[in-house]
Amino acid sequence: MAKVLFEWDYSKYPGAKKFPHLFKPIQVGNLMVPNRIVYAATEDNLNSHDGFVTDADVAYMRSRAEGVVGGMCFMQGVYMDPDRKGQGYVGQAACWDDKFIPGLKRLADAIHSQKAIAGFQLMDCGRVGAVEVDSGKGPSTVPQRLRIFRPMYEMSKDDIKLMIKQHLDSARRGLEAGFDVMEISGIVGYLISNFISSYTNRRKDEYGGDIRGRMKAVVEIIEGLKKICPKDVPVGIRLCAEELLDDVRGNTPEESMMSYKIAEEAGIDYFSVTAGWQESIVPVISRDVPQGSWLHLAKRSKENVKVPIMMAYRLFDPSIPHKAIEKGDLDIWEMCRPMIADPLLPKKVLEGREQDIRWCVACNLCLARLFRDAPMTCYINPLCAHEHDPKYTNPPPADPKKNIMIVGAGPAGLECAYMAAQRGHEVHVYDKRKELGGTILEASRAPYGDDELMTCIRYQKVQCEKAGVQFHLGTEVTEDLIKEELPDSVVLATGPVYPTSKAPGFDKAKVVNVLDVLRGDAKVGDNIVVWGNRKPGIGVALSLAKQGKKVTLVGKEKSAGFDINPSFKWRYMIFLRQNGIKAYNDCEMDEVNPGEIIVKTYDGYRFPVKCDTIVVTERVPNENLKNAVQAEGIELFVIGDALVPRNMSSAVHDGFHIGVRI
Amino acid sequence: MAFDAEKEISKLWGDLHAAQSEIGRTYFRWRQAALAVAGPKANPLDVSLKAAEIIGKELGKQSLPRLNFLKGEETWMRSLAGGMAIQWIMQGAIVKIEKSDKPSEIFIKWERCPWPSFHKEYGVKMEEDVLCCDRILQSILPDVNTFFNVNYKIETLKAIPRGQGVCLRRLYKA
Repeated sequence: MAKVLFEWDYSKYPGAKKFPHLFKPIQVGNLMVPNRIVYAATEDNLNSHDGFVTDADVAYMRSRAEGVVGGMCFMQGVYMDPDRKGQGYVGQAACWDDKFIPGLKRLADAIHSQKAIAGFQLMDCGRVGAVEVDSGKGPSTVPQRLRIFRPMYEMSKDDIKLMIKQHLDSARRGLEAGFDVMEISGIVGYLISNFISSYTNRRKDEYGGDIRGRMKAVVEIIEGLKKICPKDVPVGIRLCAEELLDDVRGNTPEESMMSYKIAEEAGIDYFSVTAGWQESIVPVISRDVPQGSWLHLAKRSKENVKVPIMMAYRLFDPSIPHKAIEKGDLDIWEMCRPMIADPLLPKKVLEGREQDIRWCVACNLCLARLFRDAPMTCYINPLCAHEHDPKYTNPPPADPKKNIMIVGAGPAGLECAYMAAQRGHEVHVYDKRKELGGTILEASRAPYGDDELMTCIRYQKVQCEKAGVQFHLGTEVTEDLIKEELPDSVVLATGPVYPTSKAPGFDKAKVVNVLDVLRGDAKVGDNIVVWGNRKPGIGVALSLAKQGKKVTLVGKEKSAGFDINPSFKWRYMIFLRQNGIKAYNDCEMDEVNPGEIIVKTYDGYRFPVKCDTIVVTERVPNENLKNAVQAEGIELFVIGDALVPRNMSSAVHDGFHIGVRI
Repeated sequence: MAFDAEKEISKLWGDLHAAQSEIGRTYFRWRQAALAVAGPKANPLDVSLKAAEIIGKELGKQSLPRLNFLKGEETWMRSLAGGMAIQWIMQGAIVKIEKSDKPSEIFIKWERCPWPSFHKEYGVKMEEDVLCCDRILQSILPDVNTFFNVNYKIETLKAIPRGQGVCLRRLYKA
């Protein structure tokens, strides 16, 4: 009889009727899990730099535990060695001594407080570890391809025995702290995956050689864990079903499946299927990868092993895992980024409140932050990693209640609007256009998945409606209107102004605006120069190149896509190359002549570029209405691109911060 | 202001040549500094070879993200040879990659190189030039070999400083 930790009855919820396969129980090892939802172990860099759990991490986990509505909720992987070679993130939790148990217990208790199953993960970061020390350890000394990672030394057999012992000692501490599920992390370049991969394991002894030899250390860990974990504590592993390392002769898909079979023979109770390493040159989870792209790996895993299979990796829309479970291609739906963006995502699915979900836009800002030793942040969820801070989670009611005029219905204005309205203010949103979304309406038309940006606007619209925000669409705010309405506060979220160039001849050239082009309202020629090399420029350049135009980017930033976070920017650099777009960075338009522009480099060189149309994507702050508001003595806030042109994330965060304090 | 292509290109050309020549001069200034610090007992060739080794190792590490096996080992080898050649091309040399009849080897040919002239100008023996280039190229390989789990070597067949007209090197799978 499998153990039941918490009783859950989903029968009365609409989500359980719409997605019955997500809310049916499954036996994992000897534990009965009430649903098919998992918050996967995710680093957040919220813990102290010596590995102790903090209030911020406890609050972060508690909110994710609430989200999984009885499912499994994993804390971040812990590093297990006192010499910190296994530590991959500056704020990673440690578990190399009993002194860490009380902190870990706080996490287990926080997860249990939401009647969720607490998962513990053992994670030696191996090749991508040693973040605080000079060198890392691995099965073999294979040089690093990415310089941000430390040089490796080859582990002796004694080192391997010690590493296995550290896994088992840490597992014992995790059990003592009260965790219900034990998981080994063997993915993306961490130590276990280093042992398994032919790319990083060149050993000639019993811990190397063929896939059985390369799995030996993993098998010893699994067998050890099975001995120390009570029978009703499942032992699982996150394992690459495809390393996507063909360029460096990593494991074949057959070898990866063999690793699954060997782990199952050793007694593993479930698999979390993953794809790719941090070093892979194949995109796995960025926005350009369509949702559900990796499900074939779950299916392949199901065909090779009998124990339950779970998977994250671009499964945002619940209908995708639901169908996969129904078809028998998957058993459990895992999530990292979707629940960073909205910790209560599955709960909202269960309650039939999908319209209230703040969808992840797969920008990878969260990862970019972690790799740069910064605490977790979400592009579109300003609350993320601030769950412990009442200023964020429980802003004070409006006092005094104000009549607020928000000018602009883009992401900044809408975020501000519902936050302020939820606090009790009377909020009016004006926009000269008849649709909500501001410049995101056009930005979402750029290729490579940018349509997902509109999910943010749809979410904000619903929240505004629920909070009682009043919309005045198709209404241009003028000085007269401000004088007429005389609000207590005005928030200018009007978006940027698109400047004209001072280059001689610019006034005679065919010049169009980025928004008109993306909307399809502007006629353009065949040789186009996009002026501005930030994301709006890149988006419209790609869109035009897809239409067969010859496109050149000219911009003042030192590198194109300066405003795209580094974990996603590399994709855009490839898109530019693939689409034959030349980017002249750190340059300006010096002159516009018939059929060409003269580009001037930062150091004064000049050269011609064929051009029959200039698309303006450069942006400057919007000063309109500022003086009019101030002249009336009205409280004024300027947010989003109107303040400083940046990206959508900055707009949302600006809107949130003014919304909670206005 | 009308665009004058000849003026722009000649300016660019002049600046490029100045930068290339400054690379050589900077190297020899540093060589002098290293010898001064190393003291009179140091063998200048040992110092230069150490520098060459460090340069080569760095270039090896730098090449790792740019190489891959996706188009097979022959293409990989060509990319490796191209990566080596570009280091000298940037400094003003004319370097060409020549196919061999054998799939496991490739030739790199320097038809013109600024380094022998620098050696002459700074009074350094011409043989040091050959040995340093060899050391740089050989030092690129250990990290590349380990990373890709292969065993490639490079040998010098001809050298400009030896009066043979071109530098010819054979990159091959051992």
